[in-house]
Amino acid sequence: MSATARIDAPGQLAGRPLEEWNGAYSKVESYFHALRVLNKVLLGQLVALVLERAMQRSASEPQRSATELAVEEMDRLVNEWFAHVLQAPPAGAEMLSTRGRMALLLADMPGRWQDQFLRPGPWPDEFVLAMRDGYLRAGPNFQLAQMTPRPLDLGPIATLTHWSTLPYVKMAVSWAIFGLLLVLIFYVTHH
Amino acid sequence: MPSAPPISNPAAGQAPPLVMSQMPRVRLGWRVFLFYSSAMLLTGLVSLLFADLLWRTGWSPSGVILLCLFIVLFFLIAMGCMHGVFGFVLRLTTDRRLTRLGDYRSQNIQGVSTALVFPVHNEEVARVCEGLRATYESLEKTGRLEGFDFYILSDSTNPDKWVEEEHRWFDLIHDLDALGRVYYRRRVSNEGKKSGNIRDFLSTWGPRYRYFVVFDADSVMRGETLVDLVKLMEAHPQAGLVQTVPALVNAGSLFGRIQQFANRLYAPIFITGLNFWAQAFGNYWGHNAIIRTEPFMQHCDLPQLPGRKPFGGQILSHDFVEAALLLKANWEVWMAYDLEGSYEEAPQTMIENARRDRRWCQGNLQHFMVIWAKGLRGLSRLHLAQGIFGYLASPLWLFFLLTFNWMLWYVGHTGLSKITVRAFTPFLKVNATEHAFLIFVICMGMLFLPKVLALVDLAFDPERRRAFGGLTNASVSAVAETAFSALHAPLQMLWHSKFAAAALLAAGVQWGPPKRTADGIAWSEAVRQHWAHTVVGLIWGGAIWRLDRPTFWWFMPVMVGMVVSIPLSVLTSRARLGDQARRVGLFLTPEETSPPPELAALRARMAALEENGQIAPRVPDAGLADVVLDPYVNAIHVSLLREKRQNPAFARALSDLGVGQPQVRTLCEKLLAQGPAQLRREEKLLIMSDADQLPWLHRQAWLRPSATLARWWQTQIRQYAR
Repeated sequence: MSATARIDAPGQLAGRPLEEWNGAYSKVESYFHALRVLNKVLLGQLVALVLERAMQRSASEPQRSATELAVEEMDRLVNEWFAHVLQAPPAGAEMLSTRGRMALLLADMPGRWQDQFLRPGPWPDEFVLAMRDGYLRAGPNFQLAQMTPRPLDLGPIATLTHWSTLPYVKMAVSWAIFGLLLVLIFYVTHH
Repeated sequence: MPSAPPISNPAAGQAPPLVMSQMPRVRLGWRVFLFYSSAMLLTGLVSLLFADLLWRTGWSPSGVILLCLFIVLFFLIAMGCMHGVFGFVLRLTTDRRLTRLGDYRSQNIQGVSTALVFPVHNEEVARVCEGLRATYESLEKTGRLEGFDFYILSDSTNPDKWVEEEHRWFDLIHDLDALGRVYYRRRVSNEGKKSGNIRDFLSTWGPRYRYFVVFDADSVMRGETLVDLVKLMEAHPQAGLVQTVPALVNAGSLFGRIQQFANRLYAPIFITGLNFWAQAFGNYWGHNAIIRTEPFMQHCDLPQLPGRKPFGGQILSHDFVEAALLLKANWEVWMAYDLEGSYEEAPQTMIENARRDRRWCQGNLQHFMVIWAKGLRGLSRLHLAQGIFGYLASPLWLFFLLTFNWMLWYVGHTGLSKITVRAFTPFLKVNATEHAFLIFVICMGMLFLPKVLALVDLAFDPERRRAFGGLTNASVSAVAETAFSALHAPLQMLWHSKFAAAALLAAGVQWGPPKRTADGIAWSEAVRQHWAHTVVGLIWGGAIWRLDRPTFWWFMPVMVGMVVSIPLSVLTSRARLGDQARRVGLFLTPEETSPPPELAALRARMAALEENGQIAPRVPDAGLADVVLDPYVNAIHVSLLREKRQNPAFARALSDLGVGQPQVRTLCEKLLAQGPAQLRREEKLLIMSDADQLPWLHRQAWLRPSATLARWWQTQIRQYAR
């Protein structure tokens, strides 16, 4: 890493404490790890590449932490690379990032192309093709149709479903229960 | 005769045209008459005996009630028995069935397109995907894979399940190289539940497919069986639906293995009996069935029933009604009961079984409304009525027993004489006790006869006999299964009575997932679910003991089941006991003694996943963490959302949900700053439905200084460090 040239004092790197860069290293490494870049050599190289760019900004932006600068550079680097590989038209960073990550997954970068990730071109044709043509289809083309329920003619029974809203039905039911109770009392006491 | 549905699948340009051949309509009248008259004849004779018994002990109004209940209940028993008897005889001879109506196997199905749909709702995702994988691989071996598309149709409302479904689906298509063959779709709203889920699929992609096969979350089907189903449909253009009879498989607990054994041993004769009278007017059980898309779309969109719950509103048990609507529109519905290779799993504990019954009970009782619908086939009404009485029988049995107890109390309380008179059938030279015993023996005989016939049927079939571990093992297992059923039946009676009462009163029965241990139901959970059963058994038994000692012994089987319900529930839920029973040769089934390749593959995969800890429960909001932090899970999720927006119906639903509104960004900020615990589930779902906010969230979660993020995010990000 050429940043070693910028060690300006013991325990410092690019004008900041080593510990601060260590935190930045961890965050960037975590993200690449989340991208399944598992090869230790490649991982180390990529993190160093990002930190190198962050260190270049370090002096001009002293109010921002090393981690902030590093993850910002990581995001920029990854998106620039996506735009380059995918030959993507200018689009929002989030749109490009999503498309790029999806392309990485569909091209099986973690399994087959770890060494190509963030590498400047030219890249193998197969890799470029896999990245550019990858498209996640969750379903075939829609073929929309309309299903319309046909009403069931339930006849007089449908009236029963509204029994509780019929006039005086609750009163009539209460009276019926009361009458049955009287019959029961009479029956029990007279047998 | 229905009109021929046009081939509407553009992908199926090479599909052979449908040729409508006039198939002789089977004359069902004599079959229905013979079958139901046999049951009625038996019911009449035994009811006469019962009426005579009541006559001997003295008529009373409660006696009349008891007789009426007896007639209804005995008719149900007699129908069950007749299914067994007819099925047994027909399996020895032969009968008209779909697979014998011509040579369907020579059908050309090149270019015919079929969708296999897996509706899921917060299911165990790994199991669903592995079941799909087993089916896919089995189909691949037939060389017919190009004619089938797979769809996971999610209705999941749990954010974590949603994310898990997406990433397991992606893993699946990656492993199988099945991008463009296995699809995933999650609905924005759950309108119409499972039937609404299917309807949504049909409205979006239905016209692409001539047929679709509905799977349950735990279904597996053999590739050859699926190919056979398509050929059957091609060979019988008037068939609207063909239902297979799924075998219960993969049970581990003792309860599950007992149910599985009973299903595999008894189902063949019962279904053969059912097919005797149903023929082309069969039924649909909601899954493991192939359906002709066009008539289903034309006729089976279910209307809302008028009125309020429990009978009004959305039709809950949609399958019976859909079959009835197909039949109403002159399409045929067959049971292809002799097609092997159709599987499903069953609840593994008594409590989980009751939980499922609660859902079905409400749906089936609602059919009381549908049964009166004008234009339905008479046989559809019979299917619906049988479904209703499947659950109504329990409260009727309870009422029967209580009425009997009332009569007993009444005689004791009033001090009336117990002197009996002679029977009015003079040739019946028995006293009243023997008379009662005779009726009891007949009832028991009717209950057990189908089981005995199933064993005799097994004895005649050497291959099946071996598959059940030999006749001795099967016989001992059948006896043990019968003993367990006797203990389980009173609990079913109490449960179903409660469910039916709750359904009729439109009162919900709250029932969350039961607490389990690694080996089954926890004792505390069993006490919580069964204490009332135990108390009822003790009080009821004690009351009869005080009333009349001899009667107590008659009631013993009913009471014992209730009193021992807690240990019975716990012990039968144990996988360890299920395994021990297997080792001694009890409750063996063909799929256990000789696992078919698709099931063996499924078990091996599930075991491997379990061993690798890939199906271990995760902490709450783990899915949300994945969808925000994991670059790939986020990308998959957002890509699916973006694709979904292209469907006008989905775009509208997303908009209705609030997607795209400024408050979503506010929620995202809250999520980052305070963590997911501060958000309601609906708010999390809203964020997760917004294809524009999620990429932003992903970047922000990684870019923002840790101090500005909730501690929860800091912990989650640390998990990505080595």
